Formats: sequence, C-alpha cells, structure tokens
Amino acid sequence: MVSEKKGMKLENTVSLFISRSAHRSSEMNKTGSWRFSLPVYKDKTAPCSAACPTGTEIPRVEMHMSRGEVRKAWEKIIWENPFPAVCGRVCFHECEGACNRKNLDSAVGINSLEKFIGDIALSESYTFDEVEGTTNKRVAIIGAGPSGLSAAYFLSKLGFLCEVFEKESEAGGVMRWGIPSYRLPKNILLDEIKRIEELGIKIHCNRELSIDEFNNIKNEFDAVYLGCGLGASISPGFEGESLLEEGSIFLKRVESEKMSLDGQDIAVIGGGNTAIDVARSLIRTGAKATILYRRRKEDMPAFIHEISAAEDEGVKIVELVSPTCVKHKGEMLEIDLQEMTTGDIDSHGRMSVRPLGGKRSLIYNKIISGIGNQIKDTWHSPDQNNSKMELKNSIIDITGDTPLVYGGDLTNKNQSVSDAIASGKEIAIVLDLHFKGDSDIIDSLEKCRVGVNAISFEIYRGGRKQYKEFVEFKNVNIDYFDKEDRNELPQISKEESINSFNEVEKNYTFQMAANEALRCFNCGVCNDCDNCRVFCPDASIIIEDGKRVIKTDFCKGCGVCVTECPRSAMGMEEEKV
Amino acid sequence: MNEKVMEGSHAISEAVRLCNVGVVSGFPITPQTHIIEAIAEHCSDGTMKAKYINVESEHSAMAAIVGASSAGTRAFTATSSHGLALMHELLHWAAGARLPIVMGEVNRALGPGWNIWTDQTDSLSQRDTGWIQLYCEDGQEALDTVIFGFRLAELVNLPVMVIIDAFLVSHTYEAVSVPTQDEVNEFLPAFNPRIKLDLENPQALNQMASPQYYMEMRKSMQLAMETVEDIYDEVEDEFHDTWGRRYGSVEGINLDADVVFVTSGTATTTCRLAIKDLTDKGESVGMLKIKMFRPFPAKGIQNALKNAGKVAVVDRNFSFGAGGIFAQEVKSSLCNLKDAPVVFNFIAGLGGRDITTDTFFEMYEKVNANDIPQTESEWIGINEQELK
Ligand code: SF4
Ligand code: SF4
Repeated sequence: MVSEKKGMKLENTVSLFISRSAHRSSEMNKTGSWRFSLPVYKDKTAPCSAACPTGTEIPRVEMHMSRGEVRKAWEKIIWENPFPAVCGRVCFHECEGACNRKNLDSAVGINSLEKFIGDIALSESYTFDEVEGTTNKRVAIIGAGPSGLSAAYFLSKLGFLCEVFEKESEAGGVMRWGIPSYRLPKNILLDEIKRIEELGIKIHCNRELSIDEFNNIKNEFDAVYLGCGLGASISPGFEGESLLEEGSIFLKRVESEKMSLDGQDIAVIGGGNTAIDVARSLIRTGAKATILYRRRKEDMPAFIHEISAAEDEGVKIVELVSPTCVKHKGEMLEIDLQEMTTGDIDSHGRMSVRPLGGKRSLIYNKIISGIGNQIKDTWHSPDQNNSKMELKNSIIDITGDTPLVYGGDLTNKNQSVSDAIASGKEIAIVLDLHFKGDSDIIDSLEKCRVGVNAISFEIYRGGRKQYKEFVEFKNVNIDYFDKEDRNELPQISKEESINSFNEVEKNYTFQMAANEALRCFNCGVCNDCDNCRVFCPDASIIIEDGKRVIKTDFCKGCGVCVTECPRSAMGMEEEKV
Repeated sequence: MNEKVMEGSHAISEAVRLCNVGVVSGFPITPQTHIIEAIAEHCSDGTMKAKYINVESEHSAMAAIVGASSAGTRAFTATSSHGLALMHELLHWAAGARLPIVMGEVNRALGPGWNIWTDQTDSLSQRDTGWIQLYCEDGQEALDTVIFGFRLAELVNLPVMVIIDAFLVSHTYEAVSVPTQDEVNEFLPAFNPRIKLDLENPQALNQMASPQYYMEMRKSMQLAMETVEDIYDEVEDEFHDTWGRRYGSVEGINLDADVVFVTSGTATTTCRLAIKDLTDKGESVGMLKIKMFRPFPAKGIQNALKNAGKVAVVDRNFSFGAGGIFAQEVKSSLCNLKDAPVVFNFIAGLGGRDITTDTFFEMYEKVNANDIPQTESEWIGINEQELK
C-alpha cells in the first residue's frame, strides 16, 4: 500500500529551548550568587600531631607511607625530629593514645611505623640536606643527649655553627647509657647520631666541663645551650643506702661490660622506667629480679606495656613495701621493709600510701636503686637571681652578654627522649628569633604551635600551613572507613629475649607498614581522594595544575564537599559582603 | 492489515507493540490495567522488545519514562484518574523537558465517592501541563491515535495523551483493524531525538533556569504547541495515505444547522445516532466532535461553528465554580467572532452515568425552548430529591 517513504517527509524543526549543560544553562546559572559561605581546603590539626611532643605531622607521614613513599614519609618526620629510628623504639607514643582511629577499632601503629621508616632511612643511607647559608654565630652545647643533639640539628639547619661538649666517651646521653639495647640497639643510635654530626657539628667527647671552663665557653661563643641532664642519683635516704648500686650506673655497666649474674637474686627499688629497665636487664644477665615498690603496681610511673613485658619475662613485683634499712648479712644483703597500705588520693590525683603495722626483711645478693636522678652541678640550671623567660620546654636567660638556654630533662615536665627533642627544637628557634631581634619571641613561638605543647620547625620555616582547628573523631566521616585489625610488630621468641640483649621487637615488612599506614584516617589533611570534586552537584571543583580549585562563580555553598571529605580537610567559611 | 475483535484497552496495547517502544512503565489502576497488563505480557513472551518497568506508583511510572525518553528511547505508560492525579508533577516535567512520550489515559471519575466509571475531569484537570490531548471515540481510533501520536510527539517535542472513556471504550470489544509491522515501520521512523543523554557527548539536562531564561523556555513550548495543529494535519495526511483513515482535530456534521451539539469521547457516538433520528424527523441539527483538546483548535472551531444557529456543548466533566470545561474553551474561541452563535452548556454523564439518545433529545428540547442560554451550566438528569 505504501509506495514511497512518506514518513520521512516531515521534519522536526520546532523551537526547542531547554536548560542543559551542553547548551548554555549550566554556565549561565551563576549559582555562586546564592552562596553565603564558601568551602575552603584547610589543613587542620590531627590529635596525634597535637599529642606528639615534637609536633610531627603524622597524618602526612602515614599518607606517604600508605603510598609506599618512604623517603617522603621520612622527610616529613625529620622536619620535626632527627631521631625517627630511636623514637620509633623508645617514645612512649602519646600520639597513639590520642589517635582518632581508636574510636573505630584501635589506634594506628604510629610508633611502629616511625621505626619502620627510620630503619629504612638508615639502611638506604638517607642523609639530611646540606644547610644553605650561615649566620656565622657559634653555639656551644653542653651535653650530647637527645636535647643537645637535637638543638645542634635544628640550630645547624638555621645556619648556626655548633660545638657539643660531652662528658662521656660517646655521645647519646640517656639514649646511649640509660636505655638498654634490647629496646634500642646501639648501632641504630650511633647511625642516627652520625647523620646529625655530618651536618658539620663538632662533638667533643670526654669533656666534662668545670665551672671555669663553662665561663670561658660563655666568652668564646655567641650562645650556650645547657642540656646537662640529671647527672646525679637521688639518694634513697635510709640507713645503709651506700650498699646499693645506683640504677643508671648499673645500666651503663651492662652496656659496656659483658656481665653475667647467673642465678643471683637481685632487688631493684623504684617504680619508674629506670627500675623496669634495670630489672629486665638483670633477667638478661641470668639473675632473678624483684622490684620493690612502695605504692601499688597501677601507681608505677613506668609505661604500662614495659611493666607487663617485664613481668612476662619473669620480673617479680612486690608492691606496697618501703625500704627502711639495708645491711650486710654474710655475703648477702638484707633489706628491711615497712609494709604500706593505701590512703587517700593526694593533690596530684595519685593514691597516697601510709605505713601499716607489719615489717619484713628480705635477703638478696645485690640491691639496685632505680628511683631516679637529680641535677649534678648548680650551674647546670639557671641562676635563680637572673630574670628569665620560661617556655614550655626551655628556659632562656639573656641577662648576660651571652644568652644561656636551658632544656632537656632539667626543664621538661616529662623526662622522655621526644620531650628532649622538643626542647632542642624550641631553643634553636628561640635563639634564632633572639639573634634576629624578634620583639615578641613568645608570640612568634606561639605561631608555630601544634596543639598545646609542641612547636613545629616546619611551620617556623614557612613550609607547613596548619590551622589550629582540631579534628575530632566526630569530624571524621567514618562511612568511608571499615574496621581493620592493627598490625603489630612481630617479636623474637621469649627464650631469645631473656637470654640475650637482642631487640625484642622486630620490624614490619614493607607490606605490613603500608597496610598499617592505610589505616590512618589522615585527619585534617587532604590525601587527594577527590571525593569533594566527585560529589559537588554543581561541578564547581576543578583540577588546575594538579590542585583542586573551587570555582566561586558556581559554588553555591551547599557544603556537600565538606561533609563528604572523609578526613575533615575542608571547612566552610562565612563570606563577608 | 487484519481485523481483530478486541477491547479498547488492547487496541492501545497493540498499537504500542507495533511502535518499537523501548521502555514501558506501569502501575495498575482500573480501568487502565488491561493496557499495561497486555504490554507486560508482550514483553515477557518476546513479541515486544521493550524493557518493562514495574514501578510502585504512577509518579514513578512517569519518572521512569522521563528518564527513558531523555536517554533517547521511545517510551510509553498508561494510567487513569487518581493515578494521573498522582503523576501531575511529572506531567509538567515531561512537557517542560520536551519529551515525546505517549501515554494512554482512561477517563475515570475522581473520588470521593469512590467511582471507577467514565468522567473526563481527570484528564481535563491536566490541561495546563503542556501535554497534547487527543480524545478517542472507540478502539480503532485509540489504536490509530497511539501510532500517529508518536509521530506527532516526535515532530514537535511534546508529550501526547491518548484518551479513551472508561469501560465504554476500555472494556468494550469491537472489531479493530490492526496495521502490519512493516506498515508501521514505514509510517513511524526510528526515534532520533534532537536532544538526549549521550555518553559520547555528556551533558546535564533540565537543571536550574534563572528568570533570565525561564520565560524563553516556556515561550519555546508554546511555539511548538502553535505548530501542532498543522503538523497534526500533515501527519494525518500520511496516515490516511497508508491506512485510509483520518479523524481531524475536529469533525463536523451538518454544521449549518439550527442547533449544533459539541461533543467528545463516546458521547459523540451516541450523538451521531441522536442527530440522525432528529434529522429523520425533519429537525435541523448538527454535531461537532472535538478530538484535540490541547492545543485547543480554536480556529477550526470558529470556522466550524460560525454558521450554526445555537451551539450546545455537552460536558462529561466539570470545573467547580465555573462550568463545563469544553464549553469554557468553546465560548472563549467564539467570543471574538462577529455574530457568534449562543453557547448552551450541558453537564451530563458524570461518574459513568449513561448518556443516551434520550439525553440528547432532552438537551435538544431545552435549547429550542430558550433563545438565550442561562449563565450557569445546566445539569441533565439530576434527582433534585438528593440535594435537599
Ligand atoms: S587516624 Fe591518623 S591522623 Fe588521625 S589521629 Fe590517628 S594517626 Fe593521627
Ligand atoms: S559541593 Fe560544590 S557547590 Fe557545594 S559547597 Fe562544595 S564546591 Fe560549593
């Protein structure tokens, strides 16, 4: 019936104007005019960084590590801390206690990752960048402990010429002599110190300074840093105390002598980390170790995991006993103990103890005091009569011609390696500000603050812009994160542990480290996940020169990007007209 | 072409089967259900290649085919009454997006009281949505209108509603001449939209339009509407060439008579009988069937009615507080005509009440008895007792 294709005769030529992007509509709608607040990319402060005494930008360290960029991860760390391999072993990692991830499953293994990254840097012989330019100012540093060496590191980076005076035969201070090698192998420490030395720092060992020498040095140098540490032991204050061996001396001996105390029964007095280190070292020399502590186990200032490791290795802990007298008993020593009981909570929130009726005596081959140290010479600490600036981790005295700065265990609330590093960094920045004639050092220092206590060298050098705004767990969009078991460091066998000074904890494999780093939320820093761009309903986020840019003509300020950012690396800012 | 006896609903389903439709969505509602039921069967037994989408409401039925049509496929759905009312928002969208969707609509009264019988108020309530509305008298017309409805819709980028009366067409078996697939393929070229979602040329459709542009978009719709009457005629020419049938946007019989009824839907069929009886008795009476309600063929109606004595519009629908809806539109078409005939308006057959030849005789008498119509519409067959 149909002879020709009549159907094709008619054509659609009607007016057809609808809104569509390929036309004009998406660009013709300047939805930006609706906006009253604008999303911004802003690096915020992660709780881990704020808790870290050195203020290390942990979220970025883990971001690099998760991508396998070990070198970049290391470079991030050394902005703030020249001792990653040491800290990865000995730091008591408050960062992990603050980690947001622990609200989902368990904290990121920040400390173990630091160890992994630090060790790769050593095995791959990463070196610090050479310092460009010099201030021609010379700084004398007294004490080659963690604060002195860190001060030398940061000062060198700022162009100061540093010389370090160390009373012992080798540098390292407490890291060298106070921390047993099953926690910190000697070669690791020496390698990290060597890398610092290579910045051009002179370290004079076996140079214990007298007060006269100190006064000469004051005249010779433009500034002096005193990081002398606590060189004298605290006397326990009971009859027969001279019969005790001092804990820090014992630890030093263990490090330098090949000691065997097979079968001996040895007591350690104290509840701090020194007592634990002594007890665990004793076990390794073949002795039986008993800790005598005047409060309860839960009141011990030592790190909890150290206490349980010690018990695991066979250290016995006798709580609530206070020594009153030590005397010879034939070849042995007898110690009289007053039994204690708990009282009220004291003003520091600690359980107080008071004597109970009972007394007992115990007999040991040897008794070691591990109750802590104190300042050795009065000139090691600031002159009471001079006016001083008291900072978080240091004290500076500029009353004389030569500025004197004090730091390390002398000034720090927490006596730890990472706090000592924080001291070294603080004094370096303070001296730099001083010599630049900064009119408000406290304020300038505050600008580099990360969280409450830490100071960032990277911020000081203008390399890192970070908002004080804090990322809390509720700011993390956990829809983007699944529960994942934490990767723990493998350990050597218990048998090997107690029979040698070999390091107890081994290291991650590369894959484990990358997996563990992937668990990190990267709180408050952009890791290029691109969610913001994908979710923007107005296609207002574009990539220009590899960076995300918000097109203000079209961003209507809905905030979808900010909500969908898994890690709170964005915020909305109200716009002033 | 072959003749088959089938329901009016299935005449529509049959037409859809022949039109190479890509997506059909549907939600059942009496008296429309047979349409989509048959299509669903065709899809499942493979006699139709469309993707059939079962949805949970009429709102979604229309939304689904808005999507399908935007993606460049021919799409169909059918509904009735409350279902159509629920679709209202999407009717605006389909038209505003200029999508050439065809929808079967079975006129049924809206509740309450709950009523499944025929009444045009459901579709006429949608008159401002931008859809072309074509009313049909019987199954054959419904089948034909679906086929050329797609052709028309795709030529003007506007959606088409093909409307039949509940039961009187939807459930009534009649002989229907069914075209062959080849004939339809010849008449209805493959759908080749001017705008569609296209992976090769990605674009967002139908987003925000500021005051700067919205008015032009609406004017564009109206410009397209203004071409519909002419294009409809040309499409019907082609249709007629193929199948020998034509309906016109309006159809007149004896338009110079003293009284000319204006009707739509199945009332037209009854009217044809009534005027034949009256003419046989020597009365001067004619009839104008309105098939196309949107766009309203005002010029055609002016032409058709300019020589009538009196005009009597029969409305199976009502706009409360105003009057019969066809009457309103007829009056407004005639109002600027010099010496326009007077227009009577009768309301009859709401909610499926029968309109018989007697109904027409009664209305005819009322028109003859008055020179000037009353202002209000006159309701036929009302039991005054119930209203006390
Ligand atoms: S998840 Fe990562 S960035 Fe967030 S607190 Fe923990 S270690 Fe820091
Ligand atoms: S999602 Fe897009 S439109 Fe919304 S605030 Fe972010 S950039 Fe602006």
